[in-house]
Amino acid sequence: MASSTRASVADRRWTVLRRAARTRLAPFGAAVLLVAVVAALAAPLVAPHDPLRQNLGDALARPGRAHWLGTDNVGRDVLSRVIWGTRVSLVAGFISVAIAALAGGLLGVVAGYVGGRVDGLVMRLMDAVLSFPPLVLALALGAVLGAGLTGVLIALGVVYTPTFARLMRGQVLAVKARDYVDAARALGASGWRIACRHVLPNAATPIVVQASLSVAFAILAEASLSFLGLGIQPPAASWGSMINAGRGYLQQAPWIVFGPGAALFVTVVGLNFVGDAVRDALDPRARS
Amino acid sequence: MTVSRRDFLKASAIVAGGPWLALRPDAAVAADPPKKGGTLRVGFYIEAATMDPHLSGSKIDRQVYHNIYEPLVTLDTKLGIKPGLAESWTQPDAKTLVFKLRRGVKFHDGTDFNAEAAKFNFERMKTEPKSVRKGEVANIDTVEVVDSHTLKVNLKKPDAALLATLTDRAGMMVSPKVVQERGVELGRNAKGAGTGPFEFVEWVKDSHLVIKRNDAYWNKQGGPYLERVRYRPIPDDVVKLQSLQSGEIDVMDYVQPRDVAAVKADKNLVVVDVPSLADFAYQLNTTRPPFNSKPLRQAVAYALDLEQIVKGVWLNVGVPANGPIPPTSWAYDKSIPPIKRDLARAKAKLAEGGQPGGFTFTLTTNNIPINIQEAEVMQAQLAEAGITAKVKLVDSATLISDGNTKSFEMVSFQWSGRPDPDGNTYQFLRTTPGTSFNWSGISHPQIDALLDRTRELSNQAERRKLYSELTKLLQDELPMIFIVHPIEPKAFSPRVQNYEAIPDGMMRFKDVWLR
Amino acid sequence: MARLVLHRLAATIPVLLLVTAGVFALLHLTPGDPIDAMMAESADAAAKASLRTELGLDRPLPVQYLAWMGRLLRGDLGRSIRNGEPVVENVSRRIRPSLQLALLAMTLSLLIAFPVGIVSAVRRNTSFDRAGTTFALFGICMPNFLLALLLIFLFGVTLRWLPISGYVDPAEELVDGLRSLALPAVTLGLALAAVVTRTLRSSMLEALTEDYVRTARAKGLSEWRVMRGHVLRNALIPVVTVLGLQLGTLIGGAVITEYVFALPGVGRLVVDAVFARDYPLVQGVVLLIAVGFIASNLVVDLLYGLIDPRLRR
Repeated sequence: MASSTRASVADRRWTVLRRAARTRLAPFGAAVLLVAVVAALAAPLVAPHDPLRQNLGDALARPGRAHWLGTDNVGRDVLSRVIWGTRVSLVAGFISVAIAALAGGLLGVVAGYVGGRVDGLVMRLMDAVLSFPPLVLALALGAVLGAGLTGVLIALGVVYTPTFARLMRGQVLAVKARDYVDAARALGASGWRIACRHVLPNAATPIVVQASLSVAFAILAEASLSFLGLGIQPPAASWGSMINAGRGYLQQAPWIVFGPGAALFVTVVGLNFVGDAVRDALDPRARS
Repeated sequence: MTVSRRDFLKASAIVAGGPWLALRPDAAVAADPPKKGGTLRVGFYIEAATMDPHLSGSKIDRQVYHNIYEPLVTLDTKLGIKPGLAESWTQPDAKTLVFKLRRGVKFHDGTDFNAEAAKFNFERMKTEPKSVRKGEVANIDTVEVVDSHTLKVNLKKPDAALLATLTDRAGMMVSPKVVQERGVELGRNAKGAGTGPFEFVEWVKDSHLVIKRNDAYWNKQGGPYLERVRYRPIPDDVVKLQSLQSGEIDVMDYVQPRDVAAVKADKNLVVVDVPSLADFAYQLNTTRPPFNSKPLRQAVAYALDLEQIVKGVWLNVGVPANGPIPPTSWAYDKSIPPIKRDLARAKAKLAEGGQPGGFTFTLTTNNIPINIQEAEVMQAQLAEAGITAKVKLVDSATLISDGNTKSFEMVSFQWSGRPDPDGNTYQFLRTTPGTSFNWSGISHPQIDALLDRTRELSNQAERRKLYSELTKLLQDELPMIFIVHPIEPKAFSPRVQNYEAIPDGMMRFKDVWLR
Repeated sequence: MARLVLHRLAATIPVLLLVTAGVFALLHLTPGDPIDAMMAESADAAAKASLRTELGLDRPLPVQYLAWMGRLLRGDLGRSIRNGEPVVENVSRRIRPSLQLALLAMTLSLLIAFPVGIVSAVRRNTSFDRAGTTFALFGICMPNFLLALLLIFLFGVTLRWLPISGYVDPAEELVDGLRSLALPAVTLGLALAAVVTRTLRSSMLEALTEDYVRTARAKGLSEWRVMRGHVLRNALIPVVTVLGLQLGTLIGGAVITEYVFALPGVGRLVVDAVFARDYPLVQGVVLLIAVGFIASNLVVDLLYGLIDPRLRR
């Protein structure tokens, strides 16, 4: 019996993916993501120049043959920095959401499964985090944890945790009430076994949907934190820190902002397409 | 538009020969006679914190103060001391200062300014629990009223820098009546409190602060001409510049180096380069590795290319520094060149310091764009000498805390500067127990002796010699590496006439008028 | 309803306690000190020490926390260290622009989102739908500081239609006030419109498949009445949720927009206070924002009851 439900879960997930792929925008989104991931992984091979190589004599050069996207305020190649920045921005987006999904998921499972006082405590804590102004939370956490990407990752992770905890708890409560869980329990399966075998696989899909959309927001949030002076340490760059550094040159050298801005925009759009497609595919009622 | 711009240039006599020449408005003849009236709209990066000069700890407050309050003595364009509320002063001995106060001066509330009022002010600075002026007037022992307009100041020990200190908040006179009647409220309402060319009108917090012309001003020469001055905070400097370009404000306090070229090319704007008193530097922590080793400090200094930093990062809106004293000061010694880059020497010093292959350290700096850019350029320069600088960006509160607790290796230190060279040296370099701005932890008998000696001498030429000696010594000891003496360009609408730039960067609007 | 409200209010007490402990701990763990930040240009250690004593900053942290809680119970949020004024006064001065901006942005977003969202849902998969969806993504994916600078550049510098920065109270000078809020409201409103459009579209699509819609259609009701009476009404619930959540975010979280346009709002107040390590101010504002957030959620829950009687229990 247990194995049959597992098969059905896997089966359903496959259908979801196929269905997601059928919508028109999803392939585009997936392609964008693929390009971004490849750029991030193969940055040393793809980037035309050393992203850290300065040339003060050639600062703020217009886009041209030597520098397709121009150079920045210390004469570094903007395109190469955008490509290398993909790493940082994707890491910022994915890792912070992974932290949130993991921490939130775990808290949600515990709250939903154990219930009672633990549930109350965990959920009040989540409410407290939610009612904290997110930017202040991230700002203060970043300052406490010290400057750098790690601080940003943890700060964003904490900010997004309650969303996942609430989602997971809701899923757990819903799954707990289903027949096959009762059946498994009747067959003498332990609590943890039930959680791993039945609850998690069923709850995983909405988490994945939420995560794919959150990654997009996390990448944007990292850019906002850069605006407030928090985040990646020089000379490395994320798209956000590049936009922030180029902000003052918007009139004289808009290309400094254009490159990372476009990369940020397209990637976030791509992530949204994918997230939407997966969600539409998962939600049977949205099928027309 | 071009015509008025030329007139402006003539009026304020910005000589094309270079930014370091002082402006001499009296030497040039303005084409038009000054016109009365109008409201000058000024954009600042932040709002004032308090209107009480004795409790003010924020730099921006002084911009307003210098129009509504007056100090006993003031600065001229070459940082010389000239009469303010004190007509003249004498120094019978090294520990006594006697001020002859100006007669016929009234506070805006109608009460008289006299020796009693001045005494009241000094005593308030020394005794008020929340006074931020205590340190500045610490050397003043007692203040005596000799007659209604003669004030005698007795010092605990000789202090050559005191007069220069009295050109700012510590010398500003507030109406005793207002202080007694209003108390803490003075902080947000300075009506009637000053003697200056403008009177406080209103301060709507987070929105604007307005001052108006004082028609009863004691000095009948020149202004005040402007009807009102309206200050507004605009925190983002991109937006502030755009506000000036679109005519929403007439004056902006500071133009970023990156914008200077564009603003100078804009026919609808006028830029005045104001050489500052500032030195932008780095303190090296001499109390722990790696910079407790003098050769390693020297290796860093020789690896840096100040000229390239000033040209590439500061876009020549400033000059490479040879030490803590800016070219605007009488104590500046232009015969001492800034430290030149010398990679071979840097490598030799690395070997001498026991790190022939280079070493790694953390460079702590403010997370503002120009600091980041500077750190990135320094990082690249140091890398060529095999030195790895890891940049740590922090906000200014963290930076100060890191400095005070000496939890840094090399930290950015941007000092706005003081008119007397003592204010750019003593508190950073003198051996001091406890927290001070001596973040590097340097304790060097010869430096201490020089700093003490300059306080006791009143002869400028002799003091200048000692400061030259100090500058040379610092280039060898290197508790701090001085990078740049920045210029602080201010930008104006061409309507603004007759602005006189004083290197302390304060905008005094007494003689300014609007076309 | 009254019981629901009481129950919810009781549940907020532990949440608020956690918020106070959280903000206090976080703030005091942050390196830096309010006096040093305020007197950045003074090395006068004695003056700083006496100010610290005066403000009680030299006491042990648990004592300071308890003192703060004690004052809170008496309804006293304390005074800002930087400007010496009560926290409440600081906030009340800043709340007006924030509220006006939030309401204006929200109105703007609804004006855009309702037509676009509804038509997109009804004419699903047409070119209008795709254009609408793309617009929605554009609004969501654009970092708002970039959008703000582009708007300033276009409308303020190039066209000179609108003021670039500063705040005029619309309650005092209506036209100038609205003009001063126009660009910031568009900056925030576009992103919000995007979120609302998406929510409305998807919840309408969901509602369209419900049985009661089929029933209504079968009853021969006109398409417009079906839409208005059944689909839209049910689709509103998620929209109200989103708006409720966003209102809280807009009031405390429009930091970047407020910063760029030099608007004196609550968001900038709290961020500036964090940078100044103005402990009482940050603590007070965060607590007030948390209360506001919880209250707006409560109102949203009550609104559910009005929109959907089935949820009224």
